[in-house]
Formats: sequence, structure tokens, C-alpha cells
Amino acid sequence: MGLEDKLNSDGFVTTSIQDLLDWARTGSMWPVTFGLACCAVEMMHAGAARYDMDRFGVIFRPSPRQSDVMIVAGTLTNKMAPALRRVYEQMPEPKWVISMGSCANGGGYYHYSYSVVRGCDRIIPVDIYVPGCPPTAEALLYGIIQLQNKIKRQTVIARNSRRNRDLENNSTNASDTRQGSDSEVTNA
Amino acid sequence: MPEALKQQLNDVFTDALIANEEALGEVTIEVSKENLLDVCRKLRDHDELAFEQLIDLTVVDYKTYGQDEWATTEATGVGFSRGREESQAVNQPWQRERFAVVYHLLSISLNQRLRVKCFVEENRPTLPSVINIWASANWYEREAFDLFGVLFTGHPDLRRILTDYGFVGHPFRKDFPLIGNVELRFDAKQNRCIYEPVSIEPRVLVPRVIRKHKEQTVYVAAPEQGGRDA
Repeated sequence: MGLEDKLNSDGFVTTSIQDLLDWARTGSMWPVTFGLACCAVEMMHAGAARYDMDRFGVIFRPSPRQSDVMIVAGTLTNKMAPALRRVYEQMPEPKWVISMGSCANGGGYYHYSYSVVRGCDRIIPVDIYVPGCPPTAEALLYGIIQLQNKIKRQTVIARNSRRNRDLENNSTNASDTRQGSDSEVTNA
Repeated sequence: MPEALKQQLNDVFTDALIANEEALGEVTIEVSKENLLDVCRKLRDHDELAFEQLIDLTVVDYKTYGQDEWATTEATGVGFSRGREESQAVNQPWQRERFAVVYHLLSISLNQRLRVKCFVEENRPTLPSVINIWASANWYEREAFDLFGVLFTGHPDLRRILTDYGFVGHPFRKDFPLIGNVELRFDAKQNRCIYEPVSIEPRVLVPRVIRKHKEQTVYVAAPEQGGRDA
């Protein structure tokens, strides 16, 4: 039974706050525009009419303070790296990073250069690596869907803090350990 | 037309030119750095030359001229080459000054182009700036200083233009290692990006070419470790 049928017959649906949050977060991942090289052109293709990332709620923002995702699209040079880090730190939590293309993944063509960072994960933590030189618009789109899947697997809500305290006090009960770890902030 | 320009240059400058050559329809003159400013000003202001525009200013480093990493030190004589014609370049050290500063000029009114070369010595290479003749020289000279370390006296703002703030060395010099001396990473303890000594080994990046016959050339990647038999 689809969601609309259920709404029409019952007038309501039930879900967990966690699922609701994940649904909201995956449905509106706003990337900060950080095009560095030719990958940026492919990123524009993914955003333009044919592939149209708006369908996934992916809308490019001009400010890191409005963004959830950073797509590092292109060669990260030594000179740009501190600026990239600063833009990343200006993004509000929760935030994710997609590393797009060979250069951002590991230096790529410029791996042996004196002026290029050998992978943007030396500067910021990366969630999804999209391979290619440059990756096609489809590849970037696939990476975004992979990031959506990753976000859906996350559980970030701590349940019932009073029970957690009780568990900590009693502690070392094998059957309680699982519940305890369930309620911690986990990152699957 | 190149011949006419060459003749014209000979007539105007007479003995100020060290060399005046025409190759592939392009004229190249060489001047000493003492004469550089006078020659450049006359090139711009002379009615029959009228080079109003400086198209490009760059530097050539002749340190390893004719004897570079093209050499196949690790190959057998028949195994592979670097995919280029064996040049007739003499394999002996460069005898002249190490750097040549090259100016590319364009005359829009007379539709002609010219290349001016000026050699400078390796130890503290210094040239007068042409910024008062062509204003476009400003950033070109900053670039030449940044990448080759050539100093231009009279330049109002001779800073680095391309490399990172605080960069050490001049990366386009032939004795600068391609992988550099330092690499960057973010340090969580200090909460900032820090430089560390470079951690990778240098590598010759010129592709290897296996020649089975003279007519047939096959391009291959470097052999994989423990790969399958070909």
C-alpha cells in the first residue's frame, strides 16, 4: 500500500523521528558551490536541465552557511586548501563532503606536483568519493544518491537520557550493553 | 615580410643586436641587458616598427639543455624509448648564461610580431623592468620572478603572484624538484593547515614507448606488480 492510499484511508501515517529527519535531510541536500577546475563544468551539467539535480532537492547555494553538502569539484592546490577548510568550517552541522574526480580524491594527474594537495581528505573529512577525470554528470548523481543512502543509515538521536544514566550506573550487564550502544550517537 | 622586418631591425639598431634571426616566419633578436631598455623603447616608438603591445614575457632555463630526464637510464638499448626523435642536440653543458628572458611583441598597426631575447646570468639574475614601456609587463614580471627568480629592477611591486604565500624556491627552475620540498595537510591538534616535508618519491613522468618494429609503435603503461603475463 502506497503512502497516499494510506493517507486517504486512515488520514495519518506513523514514523519515527529518526526516519523523518533522515527523510528531510536526504530530500534537501544543499551543496555549497565549490568548483575548482574542469569537474565544476561536469557538476554544472548535473545541475542543469538534462540531469537536473533539483529533482533530488539538490540546490546550489552561494553561501556555506546555508549548505549541508560540499562538493569538492576539481584540483585542490596548496594555496586554496586553507580557504577550503575555512568554508567547510563555516557550514552548519550536520554536514557532508563529496570528493569529486581524481584530483580531489588523491591528487590525480597532479599527484607529483609541488603545488597540489594529494587528496582533499588531507584537509577535510570526506564521505563519498566519486571517481573519474572528470566524472560524468551521471557519476556525480550516483554519488549524491550514495550519500543519501549513507545519511539514511545514520542514527543520531539519543533516546531517553534517564534510562541511559541508569544503564551506566548498573553497567556491565551483557544484555544492557546492546541497548546502551543503541542510544549512543552512532555513525553507521 | 619577416625578411623586411629583419632588414628593418638591422638598419635601425645596427650594432645593438647580438643576434637577428628568422625561422619559420618568425623574427628573433637578442640584445644585451645594458641595451634592453633603449632597444625596447625604440621598438615601441619607431614609426616603422611600432610594437605597441607586449604579448608575453617569459623565461627559459637552459641549465639542463639537451640532457634532461628524457635520457633512458633504466632501459636497454632495444627495450623502450621515450617516444621522440633522437635529437642532434649536443650532449654537452650549456656554455652561455643560464636564463634567457623572452619578450613577445605585437604591432597592431603594422601587423607584425617580434621576439626579443635577453640572457641573464645564473647568480642573482637581474634585468631592468620594461614596465614604463609596456604596462602589461607588471604581472608578467611578477610571474617570472615567482617561477624563475629573475629580479626586475624598477618594478613597483615585485611579489610572488602564483605560488602559495610563504612559498620557498622558484619552481620552474630545472633544479627545483617536481614534487617540491613540502606538502600540506590539516592538523587537528593545531586546528590549521600545516606544511611537512614531502613524503613521496620523485618519478619520471614521461611515458615509455615499446617499439616492436620500426613502423609499429605500441604505447603501454608501466608493468603492474605481479600482473598477468602479456
